[in-house]
Amino acid sequence: MLTPPFVLHRPKSVEEACAIAAHLASEGRPFDWVAGGTDLLPNYKWHLNPKGDVISLAHVDGADALASDRIGCMARLHDVATSEVVHPLLAAAAAKVASSLIRRSATIGGNLCLDTRCFWYNQSEDWRRSIEWCHKADCGTGADCRVIPNQNTLCVATYQGDMAAAFMALGAEVELVGPNGERRMPLEDFFELDGMKKNVLQPGEFLLSVHLSEDATSRVGAYHKLRVRETWDFPEAGIAASWIPGDAGSLRVASTGLESIPGLHADLVDAHEDWTEKEGRKRLSKALQKAIKPVNNTVLPPRYRRSMVSVLASRALRAIMQED
Amino acid sequence: MVGEARVPMLPHAPKTVWKADVNDRAVAVLAPSNAVLLDVLRDNVGQLGVKRGCDLGTCGCCAVLVDGQPRLSCMTLAGDVEGCAITTVEGLADGHHLAPIQTCFAEHGGSQCGFCTPGFLISAQALLVQTSSPTLAEVNEAIEGNLCRCTGFQPIVESVMAAAALLRGEGEAPEPPTHPHADPHPSGPDEPQLPPGHAR
Amino acid sequence: MSGGYRQQPGGAGGGVRKDGKRVAGKLRFTPPGAGGSRPVSDPRNLDGIPESVGGNEPQPAGHHVHDRLRTGTTVGQATALVDANAKITGQAWYGDDVRLPNEIIGRILRSPHHYARIRSIDTSAAEAMPGVLAVATGEDAPKTFGVLPVTKDEHAMAVEKVRHVGDLVACVAAVDEATAMEALGAIVVDYEELDPEFDPRKGLEDVDEPIHWRGKYHVGRTNVQKRVHQAFGDRSNIENAAASSRRAWRFEGVHHGFTEPHAVVAHWDANGRLQLYTPQQVPHYTHRALATVLDVPMHQINVIRTFVGGGFGGKSDPFPHEMCAAILARKSGRPVRITFDREEVYWINRGRHPSYIEVKLDADEDGRVAGLDVDALIDGGAFASFGHVTSYYNGVLATAPYELGSFHYTGARVWTNKPASGAMRGHGAVNTRCAVEVGLDDIAEQLAVDPIDLRLANLLPPHSRTISGFRITSNGMREALRRVREESGWDQKFRNMPLGKGIGIGCGFFISGSGLPIHWDPNRFPHATVHIQVDMDGGVTVHTGAADIGQGSTTAVAQVVSEVLALPLDMIHVRSHESDTSPVDLGSYSSRVTFMNCNAAIRAAMEIRESLLNAAWDMLGYHPTTLVMVDRRIVYKHDPSVGVSYLQALHKAQEDKGALIARGAYRSPPMGGVHKGAAAGLAPAYSFSAYVAEVDVDVETGLVKCTRVWAAHDCGKALNPLAVEGQIIGSCHMGLGQVLSERMTYGRTGHLQNANLLQYQIPSVHEMPHVTPIIVESSDPEGPFGAKEAGEGPLLPILPAVCNAVYDAIGVRPSSLPLSPDVVWGDIQKRMKSEGVEDPLDLESPRLTHGPLQEKLASRAEEHYGRDHARQRTEDTSPYVNGVLFGFDPTRPIDEQLEGWAAIDDPDPESMAEMGYAGRAWLKQEQRHMEGDD
Ligand SMILES: Cc1cc2nc3c(=O)[nH]c(=O)nc-3n(C[C@H](O)[C@H](O)[C@H](O)COP(=O)(O)OP(=O)(O)OC[C@H]3O[C@@H](n4cnc5c(N)ncnc54)[C@H](O)[C@@H]3O)c2cc1C
Ligand code: SF4
Ligand code: FES
Ligand code: FES
Repeated sequence: MLTPPFVLHRPKSVEEACAIAAHLASEGRPFDWVAGGTDLLPNYKWHLNPKGDVISLAHVDGADALASDRIGCMARLHDVATSEVVHPLLAAAAAKVASSLIRRSATIGGNLCLDTRCFWYNQSEDWRRSIEWCHKADCGTGADCRVIPNQNTLCVATYQGDMAAAFMALGAEVELVGPNGERRMPLEDFFELDGMKKNVLQPGEFLLSVHLSEDATSRVGAYHKLRVRETWDFPEAGIAASWIPGDAGSLRVASTGLESIPGLHADLVDAHEDWTEKEGRKRLSKALQKAIKPVNNTVLPPRYRRSMVSVLASRALRAIMQED
Repeated sequence: MVGEARVPMLPHAPKTVWKADVNDRAVAVLAPSNAVLLDVLRDNVGQLGVKRGCDLGTCGCCAVLVDGQPRLSCMTLAGDVEGCAITTVEGLADGHHLAPIQTCFAEHGGSQCGFCTPGFLISAQALLVQTSSPTLAEVNEAIEGNLCRCTGFQPIVESVMAAAALLRGEGEAPEPPTHPHADPHPSGPDEPQLPPGHAR
Repeated sequence: MSGGYRQQPGGAGGGVRKDGKRVAGKLRFTPPGAGGSRPVSDPRNLDGIPESVGGNEPQPAGHHVHDRLRTGTTVGQATALVDANAKITGQAWYGDDVRLPNEIIGRILRSPHHYARIRSIDTSAAEAMPGVLAVATGEDAPKTFGVLPVTKDEHAMAVEKVRHVGDLVACVAAVDEATAMEALGAIVVDYEELDPEFDPRKGLEDVDEPIHWRGKYHVGRTNVQKRVHQAFGDRSNIENAAASSRRAWRFEGVHHGFTEPHAVVAHWDANGRLQLYTPQQVPHYTHRALATVLDVPMHQINVIRTFVGGGFGGKSDPFPHEMCAAILARKSGRPVRITFDREEVYWINRGRHPSYIEVKLDADEDGRVAGLDVDALIDGGAFASFGHVTSYYNGVLATAPYELGSFHYTGARVWTNKPASGAMRGHGAVNTRCAVEVGLDDIAEQLAVDPIDLRLANLLPPHSRTISGFRITSNGMREALRRVREESGWDQKFRNMPLGKGIGIGCGFFISGSGLPIHWDPNRFPHATVHIQVDMDGGVTVHTGAADIGQGSTTAVAQVVSEVLALPLDMIHVRSHESDTSPVDLGSYSSRVTFMNCNAAIRAAMEIRESLLNAAWDMLGYHPTTLVMVDRRIVYKHDPSVGVSYLQALHKAQEDKGALIARGAYRSPPMGGVHKGAAAGLAPAYSFSAYVAEVDVDVETGLVKCTRVWAAHDCGKALNPLAVEGQIIGSCHMGLGQVLSERMTYGRTGHLQNANLLQYQIPSVHEMPHVTPIIVESSDPEGPFGAKEAGEGPLLPILPAVCNAVYDAIGVRPSSLPLSPDVVWGDIQKRMKSEGVEDPLDLESPRLTHGPLQEKLASRAEEHYGRDHARQRTEDTSPYVNGVLFGFDPTRPIDEQLEGWAAIDDPDPESMAEMGYAGRAWLKQEQRHMEGDD
């Protein structure tokens, strides 16, 4: 499988990366960032929205930082999973991503900026031609969405990255850099409910690192992932939860693999302060299930994935209470 | 009407000289900017032992060691690993000496059709360099990115365990894979020399 | 220079370094003249020589005609594959590794439509592109081909119509892949879309435009490709059934999932001969098809089988892309290489048929299987492939290992606009077997008996005949069942484990080679032929056409030759890659290779052995009957110090003649009945297997995990136990895939949604249970040294074993595969609803209290144990046919004894339609029986 032709740029520093991005923008040349390439390369091999230029972040100095309070975008998931310094919830979630071989290449930044997925979309060019394309890669035909037809404005492809839920549950913030400088925001604000745009990154901007506050270190967390095989498979549903033991109000619950973006469920959690009791936990799990509406574009049917939300949630909640 | 749009594949991306150390040999080949390591290794460097099973990260047949780390060459941009030391299955043997993991795969039935074998050898070798007494869980994790459709994995796990035992200096070195009764060479030190055809 | 693996002639011998690395190189070869690497030959290995000829190898199943050929050299010993070194060093050359000088790259243009008529194809723009060397379309090769001569319905590229998304339309060869892809985009095809059909059930209805047209044999205007009906036995037996089980199953299609995608290299050499390199399981049929399609005589084609990166049936059809490569190479005058993307592998498919199967089992008050009715509607996709045979196998391979009171089968295969189904490991037998074994579990539950005892009390004995007339020779079913029962601790665990944990049993029965070849011409041509050549250097070259696809057939051939001639394996060189040099072998399908090819090899080796013994007779004066072959020596039986070396005897035998050349061939003996379809399922021997599986079911999520498997397989005799165990464990893995997660998912638009290895979920190392392989050796009288197959049969039992274990764990009985978590979860929800249970953890798992029949069955099983033992050892040679259990005298024709007992009624369409979907195929008439309609 060949990727369409592109020029690979390999900046050595953040400044150089921004400069290349600015230069390409000034010439009107669209480009993509690439980190480990484990998501971008399959998409390019399938000819999914390829660009003529690709900027690799692999050689950007310091981008692979790995510390308890800051993880660089180029930190490899293998290193996160085996690290002694990162929060155990992150290590555990990283260890569940893809396969051990892929984790050697896969990065934190790539995982958070993962393209959304859909079985009408993650297919070869020949395959997509046979369905006359879909909205997300319409090849200029204005094609419809195949999941929710008769509307050609919205893509509901599913975000299936594992790390986002774990990071959100720990209250992580992301640091973005670009031609217009740096900005920082809570991870939950980074995502944008749009299967095509996915997140708030502006042209030329990239995710530099993820920050964790003091508060995160004292949290106990769990991540439960629904998948058929214990390797390779993307999350069909994933629930992460964490709290500061003893402080029921500190609970954070996030979900992934279910909708176009991962979600932090702050309001629902606030409404169920009694979650440390069995019944309250049940109610919270059910409420989560009700709030999340997966669609039919992954391996398992949406009805089932939705039902699993409450099972995963109650398991995660039980786990962080260290009841089993 | 089925859409006719096609992503253009031509003109080729600009080519540059790609340099790396492949199996302890310095190589320099002309490769396009968008080249994937797997293609460069197979088509330009000629390491046909690296296999393409899926090209999408799902089979592990294309695994190679990049600076000692097992990586999927189909998921790696050649440009990103320029100047690195790359080891393919062809480089596992040290001169005339097969690596223990290689002989153990032959002896324990870790290879049937053999197409997945190069990838498994690389994943296993990377593990064995780290530890010579891996647990079952560690072996499983090391090879979870490799797919084998023939062996059912069990003989592969056994091969890795046997190789680990060899590295620890336990257990007998396996017999040569193609020969059930290893015959010492006739001119070996303590073998009597007899004329051909006059055994005993 | 360092790095890389090199041979090292002349180095120090045999050494293993302290660090465990072994010196390679010198070990492998034998200097000429010595007749072996070592001047001192090994003493006779009595442990490898059977009791019957004075050795120590026990023979519980009796002696064998090949016993006297045993020399204790390699047979029965765990032997590494003889080509393992190539595989572990990266030197093995698979399809895409063939790189000829000046090669160009071929790519294929595929149909974007499910079903369409091609109005026109314009290739002029593509041809004009710089770097494009050849373009071809269906017009370049109008002749049809197909693996079965009765159903040749494929073209190299579409002629007139495309029949599924991904069907081949045109192909291009260019200087590089990018140019070829670009050129494909420049080909303009004008299609007229037709109404596609994806549901095989609708394939039974008349349509305007059937996917193929069979002329006067066409069934109505439907898409039925083949329909089958068979009935035997006494239907009245089922009227007073004490228990009956009827289940309608749905099996999704599954794919072989071999790791090596298809690849082919074609090159017309300077003499105008085609050299075609392809990873084929069945090079001979490709050879035939190429000759037809390219219109050149077979002898002008050399088919070179590369190493095959897994086949499992998926590389056994002659393929259109093989034709394309040859056509492009002919047009361009350059070698052309075509390699598939993984997606294209799914488009060419030939995987297991998606099927609707209905199985009805009835048991009488004695716990006998009074009736087995099977109705199988199988979805053939767009082409016939092996489907003609599959249609039979789905029924007839269910006629053993149990004795049946009656058997009724209706089967139909329909064309749909999907990639073609074909042969896959366990061809045609897997799905029905699963349904039958789950049905038996149900029957056992109703009768309140142990399902293993139910099976043990209903087995056909060795040397018997099935209800449909198959000749069973050796039969290790009983031993297999007894051993898994014991080793798994069945009696303590069954119906005794907590909720979510379960154990289940399943059995299997499979052909060991198909009794009849696919092609009839030339008449009475052997199924397998082996040539052996021994020149003055003493090395033995074996020429065979058997295709090693990783199962170790090359090793098996080397082993049997080495065994007969008492030579170390490194003196045997197997040449099997080229049709120019290898005698015709029908290929690696139907689990025929070990049985047929090794038999042929033994015959050829016997000839060489005879020449050597005669030469030794000349030299020693002792008659050959008093001589024995020892490691590279021929000695006098009663005084082993008297003898000649192998080389001395060889050189004597070669005097005035030169190299010894011998040939051995195998053709299966005539057998079987005379009814329509009697030939399908006939085999010179059958394999048997019994598995016990343990599962953990997560009752909240429905995730099923198989944790342990005890797998007993009767392979006759394990020539190479390492290979047999590898086949058993590998089969478990593949079967587990089908039962737990694999499916070719066709979405609501008929598109294959998961043509990749991410969403086509083959179990990983984490999903693999620990398998205990148990080899049962029933010593088949006609098998080479007693061997039968081990490549396909071991797959069958794992499916029902897991299904039955799931029932034991959570009390829901599956009726569709795969048991993906959503399906199991759905079943659990249903059970909860029907029992009014809120929390799945409150469900109860099934329990068993033995009923009155249990005692009776156990004692019948015990009786039969003695019966079978005597028959297996041919101490009892009386005839036995299916029906004896129901009171018939096997020495008289059954139908003379009871009115109700019949073979094949005339099909009565109305009653057949009640059988299920496939039966309804008989409601239509063939065109030739229809009036005035064509
Ligand atoms: C077989 C297979 C199985 C997989 N299974 C899983 C799984 O179970 N769970 C899971 O979460 N993922 C899975 N993945 C996806 C992927 O491997 C991981 O998500 C990985 O972490 C992506 O990281 P990367 O560095 O390789 O991303 P890349 O491919 O380099 O990038 C992914 C996307 O993010 C953009 N990007 C990358 N870095 C940045 C940045 N710093 N700033 C802005 N944009 C950026 C890229 O432009 C690209 O669009 C799987 C992939 C494969 C091939
Ligand atoms: S959700 Fe709709 S638009 Fe988005 S990728 Fe899937 S089919 Fe296309
Ligand atoms: S070819 Fe790289 S993982 Fe399959
Ligand atoms: S040995 Fe064939 S795929 Fe592993």
